Amino acid sequence: MSAERRVAVVGMGGAFPTCTDLNDFSNKLFSNQSLIREWDQAVKYGKNVRSKVSGFITVEEMGLETIYSTILEDYPEIYIDKLNRIPAGNLSTADIGSIWAMLGSLDAIKMAGWSDAETQSEGTGVVVGSGGGGHEILRSAWYNFFQLGKKTRISGSHNVDRAMVYRDAANVSCLIKNRGVCESIGSACATGLGNIGYAYRLIKFGIQDRVIAGGVEGTSFETFIGFDSMQVLSKGFDPAQSSRPFDAGRNGFVCSFGAGIVALEEYEMAKARGANIIGVIDNYFNNSDGDGDMFAPSFSGQQRLWKGLIGTNGALIPDVVKVHGTSTPAGDAIELLSVVDILGDKNYHISAPKSQFGHMLGAAGSVEFITALLMIQNQKVLPCLNSENLNTEPESFQLSESWAGSKNALNAYRDLLPQETFEKEINRITCLNYGFGGTNSAVSISRDI
Amino acid sequence: MTRQEVIDGLVEILKTVRTIDHAKLEGINENTDFITDLGTPSTELINIAAKAEQKFGVEFEDEDIDDLGSKVENIVDLILKTQAKG
Repeated sequence: MSAERRVAVVGMGGAFPTCTDLNDFSNKLFSNQSLIREWDQAVKYGKNVRSKVSGFITVEEMGLETIYSTILEDYPEIYIDKLNRIPAGNLSTADIGSIWAMLGSLDAIKMAGWSDAETQSEGTGVVVGSGGGGHEILRSAWYNFFQLGKKTRISGSHNVDRAMVYRDAANVSCLIKNRGVCESIGSACATGLGNIGYAYRLIKFGIQDRVIAGGVEGTSFETFIGFDSMQVLSKGFDPAQSSRPFDAGRNGFVCSFGAGIVALEEYEMAKARGANIIGVIDNYFNNSDGDGDMFAPSFSGQQRLWKGLIGTNGALIPDVVKVHGTSTPAGDAIELLSVVDILGDKNYHISAPKSQFGHMLGAAGSVEFITALLMIQNQKVLPCLNSENLNTEPESFQLSESWAGSKNALNAYRDLLPQETFEKEINRITCLNYGFGGTNSAVSISRDI
Repeated sequence: MTRQEVIDGLVEILKTVRTIDHAKLEGINENTDFITDLGTPSTELINIAAKAEQKFGVEFEDEDIDDLGSKVENIVDLILKTQAKG
């Protein structure tokens, strides 16, 4: 029975830089806009911070207000929802990312049209995670204890629930009062897609009928400086030109923040109640590189990923590949060459949403999953902004005797990478995301016809 | 410091606690129970105690907080007892 169960996407929501809502996000993406800005937080620290750009979201932009503690220095005691979407009791246990997860979940459930009885049933799960662990709540609490020598109770009783690993899922579950599973999958920059993939399996295998799933990365300068110290962030371009996947001049990713939440439902149940099916998940597959490298992308790992996803009969060949495409020198080249190794060099296009809003880390996979659904809804391909000049010479690793892929320079695949949105019949999209630790995730989604 | 002055100071603290229904602060008295009357989440009681330490210039013993009841009179007693210790 479980083998016949299919999984539909019936709702979407989230938090997107510079955008008021999902419609605003969609309109800006399909009009080729960049959501990346210079970040005053980074500029403030001058030469101590290398990168100055981000797809960040402020507290005020989400309709929130920070209330700082009267007894603890620089400690956000609670965030107020000025639009009264979330009760104070739920806000008291939430960091910024968890609030975004709750808001995205409310929007996704509303779009799905689930009744309270359905949402609160044992058949409904919550699977939401984030990539980073550090934010100003912990920093301030620890500073007051370790440096200022204050008692633990001075920082209050919410440092655990606002900082624990699965805080996003826990806060969503307490808000919507579901009675099924509540868990988080953590897989670095594959987290967003990993949570959706796990949720897909819960429904596919008959464990849940509905799941709120996705990834979150709340705005955190603490997270930003971690990557800045690795010298892996984009530097030296105007904000809108900073994220440039596959371009020969790329020099790092843009560290961004956001949330992507989707409502998944067993297909026949969704169909029976007349739900709007935004897309259908064909398959999810994930694996590990197995080469013992925390950071380097793996050609063989990605080849195995593709084969696991689309199978040997090629039934899941996509019209569009939504790549991870971070704008890092090593990652993009390996990814493009692994895609063409599987699909060849024609009859599909490559879309790189990070070119428009940067790398949302733990939210990347889920927000980009939403961009893939938007492409299916609108029958338009989102671009690879700023992929102006592709390398006309082979990458150095392509000259190695052990290299098993194409020896063509990246410029040979120019036609796969649109620099502007264009209309196209899209029936199937592959979404790819990878993370530190050599983890790889892929999902195939189809238009419901 | 009179007991009413302590209660007035506590009300000022409670106005900063977002999870309490502020309309209920109007009729607060010594018999008011933080949990059953004001609907205060139990996790907030430690935050209220910490703010009371700052407002009234005292430092409670851990054992006193462990044993603290949930009525207004309990924390008024504790504040005045701790102040008296100097």
